[in-house]
Amino acid sequence: MSDLTTKLDDLHRRFSAALTAAEDERALEQARVDYLGRSGEVTQVRRAIGQLPPPERPAAGKTINAAVASMEAELEAAQSRLSQRAFDADLAQRIDVTFPAISPRTGAINPVRRITEDVASYFTRHGFAVVLGPEVEPDYYNFDALNIPADHPAREGFDSFWLTETLLLRPHTSPMQIRTMQQHRPPVAILAPGKCYRRDAVDARHLFQFHQIEGLLVAQDVHFGHLKGMLTGMCRALFGSGQNVRFRPSFFPFTEPSAEVDTTCPRCKGLASQCGMCGGSGWIELGGSGMVHPNVLREVGYDPDVYAGWAFGFGVERLGLIRYEIDDIRRYIDSDPDFLRQLA
Amino acid sequence: MKVPLAWLRQYVDLPHDTDDIAQRLAMLGFPVEDIERRPAITGVLVGRILTLEKHPNADRLQVGTIDVGNQKPLTIATAATNVAAGQVIPVATIGARLPQLTIEPRKMRGIASEGMMVSADELALPPEWFEDGILQLEPAAVLGENVVTAYGLDGDVLDVEVTSNRVDAMCVIGLARELAASYGLPLRLPPAGNPGTAIEPSGAEPFVELASPDCTRFVAQRFDGIAVGPAPAWMRMRLALAGQRPINNLVDVSNYVMLETGQPLHFYDADKIQNNRLIVRDGGDGEKVVTLDGAERTLSPQSLVIADERQTLCIAGVMGAAAGEVTASTTAIVLEAANFSGARVRRTSKALGLRSEASSRHEKTLAPAVTDLGAARAAHLLVELGATAYRPHAFGAPVMPQPPIVLALRDVERLLGWQLPAERVASHLRALGCAVESIETITYGPSLQVTPPLWRRDLSIAADVVEEIARMEGYDNVPSVVPSVAPHDVSSAQFQLENRLAHEVAALGYYEIVSYSLGGRRYADSVEVLDPLSEDQRYLRDSLLPAAMAYFADYDAPVRIFEIGHVFRSEEGHIVESAVLSFGFTADPSDEPAWHDARFLQLKGDCEALLRAITGRQPQSVRSAREGFHPGKFAAAIVDGQEVAHFGRLDPRSTAAAKVRLPAYACTVMLERLPDYAIPHYVAPAKYPSTYRDLALVVPLEETAAELERTIAETIGALCTGVRVFDEYRGPQVGDGQKSLAVRITLQRFDTTITDEEADAAIERVLVALRDRGAVIRQ
Repeated sequence: MSDLTTKLDDLHRRFSAALTAAEDERALEQARVDYLGRSGEVTQVRRAIGQLPPPERPAAGKTINAAVASMEAELEAAQSRLSQRAFDADLAQRIDVTFPAISPRTGAINPVRRITEDVASYFTRHGFAVVLGPEVEPDYYNFDALNIPADHPAREGFDSFWLTETLLLRPHTSPMQIRTMQQHRPPVAILAPGKCYRRDAVDARHLFQFHQIEGLLVAQDVHFGHLKGMLTGMCRALFGSGQNVRFRPSFFPFTEPSAEVDTTCPRCKGLASQCGMCGGSGWIELGGSGMVHPNVLREVGYDPDVYAGWAFGFGVERLGLIRYEIDDIRRYIDSDPDFLRQLA
Repeated sequence: MKVPLAWLRQYVDLPHDTDDIAQRLAMLGFPVEDIERRPAITGVLVGRILTLEKHPNADRLQVGTIDVGNQKPLTIATAATNVAAGQVIPVATIGARLPQLTIEPRKMRGIASEGMMVSADELALPPEWFEDGILQLEPAAVLGENVVTAYGLDGDVLDVEVTSNRVDAMCVIGLARELAASYGLPLRLPPAGNPGTAIEPSGAEPFVELASPDCTRFVAQRFDGIAVGPAPAWMRMRLALAGQRPINNLVDVSNYVMLETGQPLHFYDADKIQNNRLIVRDGGDGEKVVTLDGAERTLSPQSLVIADERQTLCIAGVMGAAAGEVTASTTAIVLEAANFSGARVRRTSKALGLRSEASSRHEKTLAPAVTDLGAARAAHLLVELGATAYRPHAFGAPVMPQPPIVLALRDVERLLGWQLPAERVASHLRALGCAVESIETITYGPSLQVTPPLWRRDLSIAADVVEEIARMEGYDNVPSVVPSVAPHDVSSAQFQLENRLAHEVAALGYYEIVSYSLGGRRYADSVEVLDPLSEDQRYLRDSLLPAAMAYFADYDAPVRIFEIGHVFRSEEGHIVESAVLSFGFTADPSDEPAWHDARFLQLKGDCEALLRAITGRQPQSVRSAREGFHPGKFAAAIVDGQEVAHFGRLDPRSTAAAKVRLPAYACTVMLERLPDYAIPHYVAPAKYPSTYRDLALVVPLEETAAELERTIAETIGALCTGVRVFDEYRGPQVGDGQKSLAVRITLQRFDTTITDEEADAAIERVLVALRDRGAVIRQ
């Protein structure tokens, strides 16, 4: 009996020493295999119980079980000690978190598309659809249907690139207003964004190719105030929550009454008399708008005594000049990587 | 249009603050683009030179005594050479402030000078438009009067933009009317009656034949006793402030009346009109005319001219001809105040490439009534200059008011969203010169019958009148209301497709650019602009790739870009326009073996990922060829049997020619060929584990990964849940005409765990099948 105890004590001592000496999980595992494993030393002692006279076996078994339990507990403690040490070592590391990041591969849509999308998402929330159309259009859709007959002085404001006697690169996206109204009965609520072309000399404020976004709402009981309401919301979505909208009388052949739309200068909020963006007026001009001219409604078969509508048209690049404080409209067409990354 | 406030104030008592007036004009629809602030000038009085003598001590100086009204004459020395006793001139007295200096008593070579004789420059007027030296005022000027206030030199000048529909407001009186109506102030207009009452000497009565319907009214009036010379100082100064250079009294009167009333005038030398008879007619075909600017112009029947029986004297509404020109020796003139069709004047002016202040007004079609006002104003001014005015003769239709417009009061609210009392609406319209009567109609209910004033041609329908009401009420007061839009069936599909594509490509690491649709490159089926701005912008693009290549050429480092845009080609006389997406990149050269191109595979990965995301389907890529691409590194992407995209390495010869320094790759997706998104259906993973076998095969060079995979999958059938070629090798170890491909085959059962025996048996079948394709296990 004491023999067994002595032997177990010795094994236990050596096991404890192995655990203490173990520097890693592998060493611990080795100790477990050496002593408690299938052919480990303790297991061999347990197998030897069979040699004992039957009356001694239960006590011997108990002794061995107690020793094994104690050794397993020690092993567990050693494991936990080791993993604690590993955590401590890991957590003691201090890297330079200000070191430059490893950049992911990034891409981005163009600011023209971003602005178009932002305008569109505001209007689609209010039930508008967004329609696209061809850039080569007959003069009928560009002018005649919009109450600009041949010889009308307003045609000069749309100095266009003509491809044939009747086909031209659209100088505005208004053809889509006509096309949509001809295909649908009121209510019609659309945005028409897209590329347009005018024979302008290219400078810091002009491109001969630009993007426009037009809006059109025709229904019963649509009035001028609804236009102001929607444009105010649009300006807040684009430039910030403090924006307001101001109308000024103007002239377009396809609207009557017509208005120029101004919004609060987003840079100075209308507060700086020396503002470089608005020149101190506190207002920035966005573009034209107005109530759809009765002749236009009649042209698409809508009764102007029953239906009323409004439309607006803004230059997308211009909205971007205001929103991002871009210094020169040619930056869009240069599409320099730095420009695209900054406005991504 | 430059408008001196002093001129406006002659007709309406405007508030003092220039900015307030500018703001008011803007809110009436006349934005003020610029305000020219006049400098503060004080202490300059009207004086008459009583005596003038040579300075005793200086050769270049003269000393004058000047009467400036109720005080002792001033002694003033001057270096100016254009002065003489008896002249009336501006005199800066001691203490006077001029833009550049303050006048103080000083001695000039021993003589105490008590002020300064003043030039146009010192009054902040353009010196090159006035006489050298001291400004000459008119003899009748009141001595001692303050020059600055008397001549309106202290009033700021507004640069006002007038929209093309408001030609009635392209003049001082027009803007004065608007401001008076808006401020609610009375308007003081110059007398509208023509002072000419005398009957012409026998045979001198002007007659005008209107041989074209494009002249609706022509007022002709004869003046005798003309002496061509400088206009009075007040007129010259006023014109100069308005940006109009003074020329001589006749030209100045005609410009003055045009700026004031909006009616362009023309003066003919009466002695140069054959038989005092003018004819308004079409130009002759190829007829040559020398215009007042000295240029010879070739006319056509499109142009409208005013001629006598012999020759053309004026291009109607555009510019006079030398043949009828007023000269220094002219003593009698015939005035023309005419009304022409705007479209006709615009065509004439455009065809001749000749625009003038007159044509810019005529081409917007003036109101016929203004002809009489213009003639009357000119007559007043010419009589002031000492001319004899004979009676005016009007030819053409009498001036009639426009038919009245019926304005339903409910339309005011319907269109503006405002409720306005009828009285208020009527008073706004009356303030603008409309005649207004209340009526009740069956169709429209309570209404106003509105007759626009004679000078307005832009008011013809109710909506026009509604705008006038909104202008008077103030656009500022338009309420801000968010509408609720009823459901409708207009589709946004195309817009959504383009945006989804753009976001997917951006997520793959590409930046979106915008390039010009017009370029200088001609294609076989190019669409051409009739009248391009330059040769670089003559043709519409048929591909986005040239712009991408130009972009690649601009940057030495690799870039990744995309663009969505339209491309154009002509097909049997029609222009075919389609939307495409191109994306591509440049990459640093790599050291991989020549038969391998990882960049191509990356591009293919991007293309397939994009198409999967957009169509919900896995595209198949097949070898293809296309001009502009590397013949061995180009493929078409097929979805549902339709080629929807193609991609590959750009032909190194083309990129080199375009100065692209790096290998370049691009993919183009044809938007209208993309099928609708197919909704995917979920397949649950098998409950039983899979196993796999890797094979290293030696295959003929022509074998493709896709064919190999398909053969394997088809041979194994349902047990095969995946097959993928994952490596390729070419070189001496496999020999000529052959290559090695490594393929992993995944096998799995859905009903139970697959056994090694089943897997091995499947692979045996594969090897048999592959043997037929010339493939063997690599040893």
